[in-house]
Amino acid sequence: MNVTQDYSGLRRIRRWSRFAWANVVVTTTARVIERFLRARALRATEMDHRRAVRDTYDRIATHFASTREYAWPEVEAFLEEPAPKGAVGLDLGCGNCRHAQLLADADGIDRVIGLDVSRGLLETGRERAHEREFDVSLVQGDASSLPLTDDSVDVAVYVATLHHLPTRATRLASLDELARVLAPDGRALVSAWSTAHDRFDETEGFDTTVEWTLPGGEAVDRFYHIYDPAEFERDLEASALEVVEWELSSGNCYATVAGGERVPRAETE
Amino acid sequence: MKESLLEILCCPLDKHELELEDAEYEGDEVIDGTLVCTECGERYPVEDGIPNLLPPDMRDKSPA
Repeated sequence: MNVTQDYSGLRRIRRWSRFAWANVVVTTTARVIERFLRARALRATEMDHRRAVRDTYDRIATHFASTREYAWPEVEAFLEEPAPKGAVGLDLGCGNCRHAQLLADADGIDRVIGLDVSRGLLETGRERAHEREFDVSLVQGDASSLPLTDDSVDVAVYVATLHHLPTRATRLASLDELARVLAPDGRALVSAWSTAHDRFDETEGFDTTVEWTLPGGEAVDRFYHIYDPAEFERDLEASALEVVEWELSSGNCYATVAGGERVPRAETE
Repeated sequence: MKESLLEILCCPLDKHELELEDAEYEGDEVIDGTLVCTECGERYPVEDGIPNLLPPDMRDKSPA
């Protein structure tokens, strides 16, 4: 047996083990960096989606608003229940303010806030309010981080807007935000497009883009999450809102909700 | 916007009160100005009468 060979064997093992350690360190670091980059990319994609929805509605605002002349019967029915005196109404995702107008005309409601992410749509709302002589306080804001104080809203309409938020996390955050701003006796009508609509074959909720065709023929994509009805109910149950009742109507899910019990912010985040 | 709207508005990030700075009025409407969060100091513009209370990372124009 050769002594020199033995030593060289040891050296090889030592070198190898040092290499193995380095390997572990390098791989772990790489994995951490990769995870960080992937999370950042995901956040960036989500933000891009949300900005894209805003930009799309800015572009199609005038034409879109002109096709949204009439209020939905489901909203009219919801607002038949009288509001408390001096109530504050909120049209969340107000678009051209056709539902803000109903809120403004409803008995008991003194002040109406119309909130939308798109400045272009808010301008169409301003025009409608001017033409039809109703009062609405317009605010540009994001449905998942509302710029409204706790318990400040008595009656809210959150119609055909939730489905434009790109992830389940942002949709849940927005439902929690609605619960936060609703007064203890406040109520809201929430609606979203659903797989029950004739144009969809799917039975499970899915993400898609739906084209909006401008008068000149140009098509603009809008992001949608199409809810399946069970998923819609599940998300509402998972939020801080309290579901009073819900129904399917004309391919949309509708829920009447109350503010529910206050959950400390730390637990909801 | 009417100044009384400040009773209901808050910072979208930390939900603290907003203060109106550099306001320009047209009657009782605030046409221009800045809403400043009393907690985090974030500044939100009032643009032609409409407060822009989008969180700062949604306020920027998206890349075309």
